[in-house]
Amino acid sequence: MDSSRRKFLKGVGIAGAGAALADHLLLETQAKELEASPQTISGATKITLDVNGQQRNVEVEPRTTLLNALRNHLDPAVTGPKLVCDVGTCGACTILLDGKPAYSCLVLAVDTTNKKITTVEGLGSPEKPNAVQAAFVEHDALMCGFCTPGFVTTISAYLKKNPNPSLEEVREACKGNFCRCGTYPRVFEAALAAAKASSSSSSQV
Amino acid sequence: MQQQPQATPSPSPKPKKKIRVPRVINGVEQMVEIEVDADSGPGWGPNDKHTLLNHRLTRVDGPLKVAGAAHYTYDQRLPGMLYGRILRCPHAHARVTKLDTDAALKIPGVKAIVPAPLTEVRFAGGPVAAVAATTPEIAGDALRAIKVTYEVLPHVVHAEAAARPDAPKVVEEESNLQQKATNGDPAKAEAAFATADAIVEAEYTTPRVHHACLETHGLVVDYRGGDSAIVYASTQGTFTIPADAAKELGLEQTAVESRVDHMGGGFGSKFGIGTEGMFACRLSKETKAPVKLMLTRYDEFVMAGNRAGSIQKLKAGVKNDGTIVAMQARQYRLGGIGQGSQAGQPYIYSMGDTYREIYSLHTNEDSGIAMRAPGHPEASFAAESLVDELAYKIKMDPIAFRKKNLRDEVYHRQLDRGAREIGWSRRNPVAGGNPGPLKRGIGCGIGVWGGGGNNQCKVDVSVGRDGSVLVAVGTQDLGTGTRTYTRAIVAEEFGLSINDVKEQIGSSKLGSANPSGGSTTAASLSPSVKDAAIKARMMLAERVAPLLGNPKPEEVVFASGNVSAGGRSLAWKQACAALPAAGITSHGEWRADLQSRGIHGACFAEVEVDVETGHIKPIKMVHVQDGGLPLNRLALESQINGGMIQSLGMALWEGRVMDAQLGMQLNPGFGDYKLPGSLEMPELVPIIDDDDKREAVIGIAEGCIIPAVGALANAVFNATGIRVRELPITPDKILMGLMSSATDKHG
Repeated sequence: MDSSRRKFLKGVGIAGAGAALADHLLLETQAKELEASPQTISGATKITLDVNGQQRNVEVEPRTTLLNALRNHLDPAVTGPKLVCDVGTCGACTILLDGKPAYSCLVLAVDTTNKKITTVEGLGSPEKPNAVQAAFVEHDALMCGFCTPGFVTTISAYLKKNPNPSLEEVREACKGNFCRCGTYPRVFEAALAAAKASSSSSSQV
Repeated sequence: MQQQPQATPSPSPKPKKKIRVPRVINGVEQMVEIEVDADSGPGWGPNDKHTLLNHRLTRVDGPLKVAGAAHYTYDQRLPGMLYGRILRCPHAHARVTKLDTDAALKIPGVKAIVPAPLTEVRFAGGPVAAVAATTPEIAGDALRAIKVTYEVLPHVVHAEAAARPDAPKVVEEESNLQQKATNGDPAKAEAAFATADAIVEAEYTTPRVHHACLETHGLVVDYRGGDSAIVYASTQGTFTIPADAAKELGLEQTAVESRVDHMGGGFGSKFGIGTEGMFACRLSKETKAPVKLMLTRYDEFVMAGNRAGSIQKLKAGVKNDGTIVAMQARQYRLGGIGQGSQAGQPYIYSMGDTYREIYSLHTNEDSGIAMRAPGHPEASFAAESLVDELAYKIKMDPIAFRKKNLRDEVYHRQLDRGAREIGWSRRNPVAGGNPGPLKRGIGCGIGVWGGGGNNQCKVDVSVGRDGSVLVAVGTQDLGTGTRTYTRAIVAEEFGLSINDVKEQIGSSKLGSANPSGGSTTAASLSPSVKDAAIKARMMLAERVAPLLGNPKPEEVVFASGNVSAGGRSLAWKQACAALPAAGITSHGEWRADLQSRGIHGACFAEVEVDVETGHIKPIKMVHVQDGGLPLNRLALESQINGGMIQSLGMALWEGRVMDAQLGMQLNPGFGDYKLPGSLEMPELVPIIDDDDKREAVIGIAEGCIIPAVGALANAVFNATGIRVRELPITPDKILMGLMSSATDKHG
């Protein structure tokens, strides 16, 4: 959605247009595009996804969400992103699309063939965790662990954008992730510690 | 196989004693009497002398969980596996007169449809049928293609309406309102009220609150038509699965193995196979294929249980010196079609002559089930509010007032500690007395829990000739840190580091274990682990004694990775090389003396209320919790945080909303049911009460969710002068209160 909108705005040269106008125009163009090419995809479709740097062939339906494709269609499955609400309210399925966090339950798999998909597995491993993953373990920022991949992914991406955040900024960054066990305070601690660890290690370089 | 160091049979049987222990059935504990050895063996030693326990241990499964490598039931994907879904009744009360599955069964990929065993549904969301299909999407298609004809019956979903004599009956031939118990002497209580200087009478209500486990209920039944099956379940009780699954599959119980490697939260809601398990087994049996049936989030809200609601009508009388002399309570448990639960008033306090009546009030909603400290936060909220109201009424400091009516000195100590930590002296004794529009206030509350163990855990500790150590037991880790302390107990006994020991849990093929309810796991499991570890240490000591100058086994010291005696020392691996080729395995049994029962907690909360909008911002919470020997301080603090945060939800945001006409839940999703989130987090201060010197393990998870609800409600009152007696304390209730108090003053 995001990238197609950008492309469209570029195309007609109204990058400064207000969002409401843009949305209106977008719908019109989409309708025209559909008229121009009545071809629609239906039934099982073979696509290739770039998941954690690997080209993965998979057969999905047009309606198959990326989350579902990762968990239930890719073989072997990628189960780090969790299915919790399936309607974009909890953040447990957060993945990165070209480095930007997205709820994989709200993205269709067929729309992600041109993007780099990174899941929590692609950020680090139990043996070689990234700074956020290591800090989560160190600060006990997990209990049952079901929300953890989502938090780790969100925060890992956020720290790239803002390597030295305040506590308030960290809270804001993970407002789209729910935890039920009650790990929030330690998630914040871990995020701040990871930022500190990353900045001190990069300053050593 | 058992190689006990003391092989000589004792001439007379060991002395026994009888004790009472909790047994948990569906998350609710019941006390039973059992016989244990009177003389047991070495204890834990002083709490401050441990090398691993009572330290800050990072979780051993942490690295797996942060990397997405921990496998939950929801992550199971087996070859040929089908996906199950449940079709739900949209009516609060209806009879299924026709179930037409023809069209659904014609959809390619739909493999089986099984009807629910009962045709009468008594709550909206009740199961009608279940399907199995090759993908989750096709399973959804099948649900939409099933045509159901219902005979719609009258329903009632609101408590007040259900109590009316002409209300539709939730269960035919039975009154919706049933008296369940009474306690105390009503005449005595009535007489005592005459001696009171002041009386408070109030009604407190709590709504139904959802567990909202992030991993929904569900299982994967791996049955392919043979004579055995494996059931992967998201459960709080590994051993609560095989018997019922076997019955549904038509197999012998011992032919069914249950597995729970990691699980995504239970909070009291996950025992047994449940309706979803019944369906999964039947679908698997019919298709002879593995079936995965995980509830959807909507399913989870409407049928996976909840904390029952409550209405508590309380009246208490107090003397001007602060002594409570009388209390009467009428308590209603709002358990839907179930019984609900509620601790009896006056909860922890001494209130002179008391009398209570407890009722069950049924509605057409799914059954309330155990949720973290069933019945306690509800009772505590009402009791703490009442106590607070009494204290303000006679103008006494709420802490001094509580102490006056609490016999147990532990609470006095904890109240003082919490008061210091929150800065009670900053509190304005005049409710609503601070200048606005952002008004701050502080409140407190206390809680009680059992947390004792029972004798159901059987643990094996194996030591290999190569020095490897494995502790194995079928128990489950709900995120409470079971894996970590299980390893730590054994590692400490051997003087090893925690990573020198591996644990194996979560299978019904391993040694038996109790279900994790009533906070009984730590106090049931850790004594058995310790017993196994001590026995293994003695076996090893006996084997290496010849290499160390033949000391007595109990004289051999295991510390810092070495095994030593009389000035001679062997590295752990050298010592283990003395073992037979097969290594050794010890079998641990529960020991009553290594655990105890009875914990205390006190919580203080500071809030800031915007009296122009009614918005409540929690600022700080402090929770002081005792619990004997802390197995792992880091995990214990996390549990205390979790209790405070779940209390926050219950106090300020959460509650099921039902539509009276439709009989349906209006907020069955995270978009409408408000969970605590990152933006609302106050500063949280979890405090382990180290003045508790008991050298015994006690479960604390449930104790941590009890006192904060009342503390928050009392903080809101202190801030605003508005007493909200109906949870959750939402801005509209604050504004309504402010409006009516302004009318009282000026109107």
